[in-house]
Amino acid sequence: MRSKKDWALLSNAARKAIKILEKRNTTHAEAFYTNTQTTEVTIRNSEILAQNKVDDSGVGFRVTIADNKTGFACTNTPTEKAISKAAEKALAIARVGSGSPNFALPKASRPRAVKGLFDPRLADMAVDEAIDIAERTIRAAEEFDKRVIAKDGRVLLQSGWRGITNTLDVDLETQETKALMYLGGAGKQNSEVTSSCYEFIFTRKADLDPENVGESVGKKVVTMFKPQPLKGFQGAVIFAPEAVSYQLVDVLIDALKGETVMAGRSAWTEKLGQIVASENLTIIDNATLENGFSSRSFDDEGYSSQTTVLIEKGRLESFLHNATSADTLETENTGNASRYAGGFNMVRSIIGSGYRTKPEIYPSNLIIKPGNKKKEELISEMEKGVLVESMAGFPQPGSGLISAQLSNAFFIHNGEIQFPIQGGMVSGIAYDWLQQISQVSEDTKQFQNSVMPTIRIEDVNFVGA
Amino acid sequence: MFELLERCLETRATTKADLVQLRGQTRAMKTCTVKNGVVEECSDISLTGLGVRTYVDNKSWGFSSTNMLSFESAKQVLENSIKLAKASAHLKTQKLRLESSREHVADVSTPVKKPIEDLSTEDIVKIPLEAYRGAKEVGQQVADIEATYISMEDEKYFLSSEGIRIRQNATRVLLFITAIAKSSGLLCPASENIGHTGGLELFDKASPYSLGKQVADDAKKLLSTKAPPSGKFRVIIHPTLCATLLHEAIGHPLEADLAMAGGGFGDCIGKVVSSNLITIYDDGHVEGGLGYFPYDDEGVECKRTTLIENGLLKSFMHDRASAALSNVSATGNAHAWDYSVEPLIRQTNIGIAGGDYSSEELVEDVKEGLFLEGTFGGQADVNADFTFGFQKAKRIQGGKIVEELRGANVAGNAIEVFKTIDAVGKEVVLRPGACGKFQFAVQGRVVPAIRCEILVGGIGD
Repeated sequence: MRSKKDWALLSNAARKAIKILEKRNTTHAEAFYTNTQTTEVTIRNSEILAQNKVDDSGVGFRVTIADNKTGFACTNTPTEKAISKAAEKALAIARVGSGSPNFALPKASRPRAVKGLFDPRLADMAVDEAIDIAERTIRAAEEFDKRVIAKDGRVLLQSGWRGITNTLDVDLETQETKALMYLGGAGKQNSEVTSSCYEFIFTRKADLDPENVGESVGKKVVTMFKPQPLKGFQGAVIFAPEAVSYQLVDVLIDALKGETVMAGRSAWTEKLGQIVASENLTIIDNATLENGFSSRSFDDEGYSSQTTVLIEKGRLESFLHNATSADTLETENTGNASRYAGGFNMVRSIIGSGYRTKPEIYPSNLIIKPGNKKKEELISEMEKGVLVESMAGFPQPGSGLISAQLSNAFFIHNGEIQFPIQGGMVSGIAYDWLQQISQVSEDTKQFQNSVMPTIRIEDVNFVGA
Repeated sequence: MFELLERCLETRATTKADLVQLRGQTRAMKTCTVKNGVVEECSDISLTGLGVRTYVDNKSWGFSSTNMLSFESAKQVLENSIKLAKASAHLKTQKLRLESSREHVADVSTPVKKPIEDLSTEDIVKIPLEAYRGAKEVGQQVADIEATYISMEDEKYFLSSEGIRIRQNATRVLLFITAIAKSSGLLCPASENIGHTGGLELFDKASPYSLGKQVADDAKKLLSTKAPPSGKFRVIIHPTLCATLLHEAIGHPLEADLAMAGGGFGDCIGKVVSSNLITIYDDGHVEGGLGYFPYDDEGVECKRTTLIENGLLKSFMHDRASAALSNVSATGNAHAWDYSVEPLIRQTNIGIAGGDYSSEELVEDVKEGLFLEGTFGGQADVNADFTFGFQKAKRIQGGKIVEELRGANVAGNAIEVFKTIDAVGKEVVLRPGACGKFQFAVQGRVVPAIRCEILVGGIGD
């Protein structure tokens, strides 16, 4: 465990570097710095594979000079010398860069009081406790049914400080905890092996529930034996929260990001105030959600957290913004600057997250407003169609095309699940699907950057294997 | 760095473990992203740290890492690692003796013809700007252009209690270009990545300008094509896409940790698992390959491993633990993205040996089918189910290409799909790749075109 003294050293060195940069003909300068301790236990093939403890800290500087020429440099060497060198490098890069005409940093704003961002019990949790959680998860899954194999999983506990200081009087620090666990299981019976089924918990508190996670995976896995192929058709599909949280959310984020709007290539660029989805769809970005996995009191540029209605009963009300996109599009900053954007992106994966990169626009907790019926009711009311619990693959960038392999899907007839589906895909343009949402469930599930219900979409193309 | 790690290895704590592996690293990256003509991000990233992995009681692993390079921190990390390994030892029933490693010392650097140190920040900025210029010249319909240059220099140190001392230096250069063309509400994306282990000679074969132009041209052309159909089709998979197919569909199921999860190819060693036209290998020594590694992160030499030979499954990719479990030798496939994470079983440069067919011959025999090209990445499951996206397609009728089409995703099960391969192309190309299995990795793929049957998830007729 790093001491408060280490944090004070890092924080003071970052602030000092900003004070020096302020006197060096810069127009703006910003330091983003973090110090995190991560404990992780990994599960592989019914066993605990390894346990890791990772200490990391670093500072990233953004510097702007005349004509909005910007530079970025970072270091993870937490000494005053290395930190001031990184600040100098950012300035040197700014001097030779070309201008970013729209660059802006936020002015000081009051950070929002958000409940449940730090749990001292989680911060102090010992590795033995994490091992116990992992072990109980494996047992709960495999004891549920002897055919279940706990294939891979992870218990991750993170605690740390996050700080931002800039030349516009932003000077903020916060202590945060996060925990996530997941388990993936598959079923084995004679020569048959099912596709994998997952259960997740994303939380800010020490409230991981291994028995529930393990049992849930077990329950899902045993439903996957003896899948049958299904002929292709056009019709109703129910997407469970996990299925919604991948491709559909990725497409929504792409269309809602201020950056894609600025580039003029968001599918909704000219659609503010217009109907873009079914009246059953209301979407909110809420960075102040209690115990929300991506809740925070200020965003990664230091702007205070907001609750932003993005789509209200199908009408597009707002995009997601940081200081730059809000300034450029002459609108309010929604506090969505993030240095921890999700999704798989090769460039981002190489560069890294946190202090290693400048912020981009990303949702905090993107929430689809729940309806008033349980998921089970959505299923029992379906005459004929498909229930997709989870699907694999990525949406096509920009176009909104979802062409997804069904990992865990079921054929429904007369309100009852008939059998798991072997192979098969669903395909369509997500923007069309959003207009075809007929039902939204009451029960929701938290993922990394979203809280999703089950939704029913009409007229989806199901591709039979 | 060697001195610090050596001192750490000499402390008394090491006697509590059966095996201690220390990895120190410095990584220097320079990046520049140009979005629509504006230099969006120009960065200098300096990272340094060390990670310690220990094996105790011949059954349990622990790992700990830090970015603090003092002797006290290093010692603390070693002690943490042992404590972590011991913490779960009581839960492990099976003792597993790893095959012993011979003492050896090595100092290796990747060959670089044009060093990146010769490049000033001004020169770096010009690379993505040139790509943007090439793309922009294609016309107004190209709505969004992004180009990113990345150079990465790694200096890695490996020391183990078995007497291994390795220093590896590697330079990697990459360029990513994406373009989205737009016309009356239709958005069509295209992208191309180039990258290798080596220096700026990467751009000798293709200039950033010409790549930018090619990507934007592809995106623009897609605006006037139809969406691809859905259903099962006989398809020719171009090398740009075969790279993803190979990695996702067959590469992942041949990684021992995934294979041993049950299902897929788990119990198929010595059995026929694909068409006899298929020979697949993994080779860390492919020169220029993005997955060029002389040694892995357990100090094992990365040799060429034949995985499938003429359809017969010969070997999985192993780390030392999975090799011991299977009673074979490690294959040099234990790799960690950086010092802060533990090594996992990863592909290096996976390849399919070339076949007999020219591109024309591949098309000639197809009565009704599709020619799929360009990748948008994919995913795989332990039961060998896979899916990935293609950027563009051509419809084949009566052995002739009759129509250009847009992209979508395909899906299938590797065990079934690889049995349907009836032709392999002559020409083999080296492609850059990446993988996000538990942690990030850069890899290479050496691939021809292949012909097989696959499920296409299009939205057209």
